[in-house]
Amino acid sequence: MRNYFAQIGAILWKDLRVELRTRERLITMGAFAVLAAILFNYATDRVGVSHEDIAAGLVWMTIVFAGLLGVGRTFHLEAEDGALQGILLSPVPKDAIFLAKALSNFVLLYIVALLVVAVFMLFFGLEVGSSAGMIALVIGLGVLGFVALGTLFSAISTGTRMGETLLPVLVFPLLAPVVIYGTSATSQFLAGRPVTEAEGSIKMLAAFALMALFAGSWLFRFVVED
Amino acid sequence: MRSGTQDWSGRLTPVSVATDPQAEEKASINPILRAAGLVREYGAVVAVAGINLSLARGEFLTIVGPNGAGKTSLLGLLAGALRPTRGHVWLRGEVLDFGEVEWRRRIGVLSHQGFLYGHLTAEENLRFYGQLYGLSDVDTAVRGKLEHLGIQEGASSLVRDLSHGMRQRLALARALLHNPDVVLLDEPYTGLDPSAASVLRGVLSDLRDGQRTVVMVTHNLSEGLALATTVAIMNRGRFVWHGDRAELGGDFSQFYHGVIEEQG
Repeated sequence: MRNYFAQIGAILWKDLRVELRTRERLITMGAFAVLAAILFNYATDRVGVSHEDIAAGLVWMTIVFAGLLGVGRTFHLEAEDGALQGILLSPVPKDAIFLAKALSNFVLLYIVALLVVAVFMLFFGLEVGSSAGMIALVIGLGVLGFVALGTLFSAISTGTRMGETLLPVLVFPLLAPVVIYGTSATSQFLAGRPVTEAEGSIKMLAAFALMALFAGSWLFRFVVED
Repeated sequence: MRSGTQDWSGRLTPVSVATDPQAEEKASINPILRAAGLVREYGAVVAVAGINLSLARGEFLTIVGPNGAGKTSLLGLLAGALRPTRGHVWLRGEVLDFGEVEWRRRIGVLSHQGFLYGHLTAEENLRFYGQLYGLSDVDTAVRGKLEHLGIQEGASSLVRDLSHGMRQRLALARALLHNPDVVLLDEPYTGLDPSAASVLRGVLSDLRDGQRTVVMVTHNLSEGLALATTVAIMNRGRFVWHGDRAELGGDFSQFYHGVIEEQG
């Protein structure tokens, strides 16, 4: 079991190290997120609708769109010089490979998601106050569910002729629970409501994340085995 | 499969017995790598059409054949990268089980792709694979392999900045890092200049230490023959000729083309 976690750690650390050197995905996702937030700022009529009501949905849609840009490239790094084959030929269980790739996606997307919240706070004048921790938790659970699904479908779509187009078509319908419960919980915390009111949404996000991680870990072997 | 000897007019003279009875006996009694009835189909296309082989410790099998003969697919099956449509592969008497991963520690694969990360240094690449293979002393293993393959100078260079020859040597270091019993080489000379090919030949000749079983697939007949103890010619998914290297001499190229032409 110790070796199992060491293998996950090795793949995770390798992904993050390469990302730190190339900054390919972070810059793409971050730039998209900031630009989307700026455009939403000008595209919404905030006279009739309060900031808190509209911002939560926009935050989550921005996270989902930005996330797809990064998650879609999960295995592009491995496509270079056949490196995925190198990992598959090594004694690493397939579910460990999946978990490592999902975790590296989580780290990157979580950073971007927090940036999205910060940018929306700036442009929409949001105040998170004492709810900052709970909002970070909600975002974290939603992002975890998203990357679990996104990593699995990225493996499916990578190598297909229309991979980048295919990914959103495959993933969007399955992401509905993340967007629905994520928006609901975020909106309640932005409105300063107590934790008990968002408890149901948080539990649903956690359940979805666990289910997606479990399903992804199990199904990944069928995707990568030839 | 036909085992045989050749006459040097290029015609195949088939014989019914093994060309090296001692080697065949050794391989049949205590094979390190064995395959039986190995078939791999891609839809209607049959890439590997019933391969049987048995290799003992220390054997170096070179497989040559034209494009599309099924050589790379066969190597993929032996490496456990591809699931056979029919048939089985045994490693040290244990059938390859795709649900298990432990047997992968005993196999090293060098492909024409290096399985390397361009944005990591040579040393980081080896360290990464050392961790995946769960080596007890990664640092020593990495240093040893860098030294053995003469790539210490490039150890801290990003792989994308290395020459093709250096990358190929690094890829070989990666394939041998965990000291595998079986080494599978897929076109290792592809894209190498004569100097780099010479270096690689020297490194590959070290693999003939009697401890490893090596299978090499190549288009390069002379390089392939130089290291082999056993040679197989593959065409249309089958071994169409198989024999001992020691019995080959003269113009193998002419013989090879004669065998392929005979197959139509």
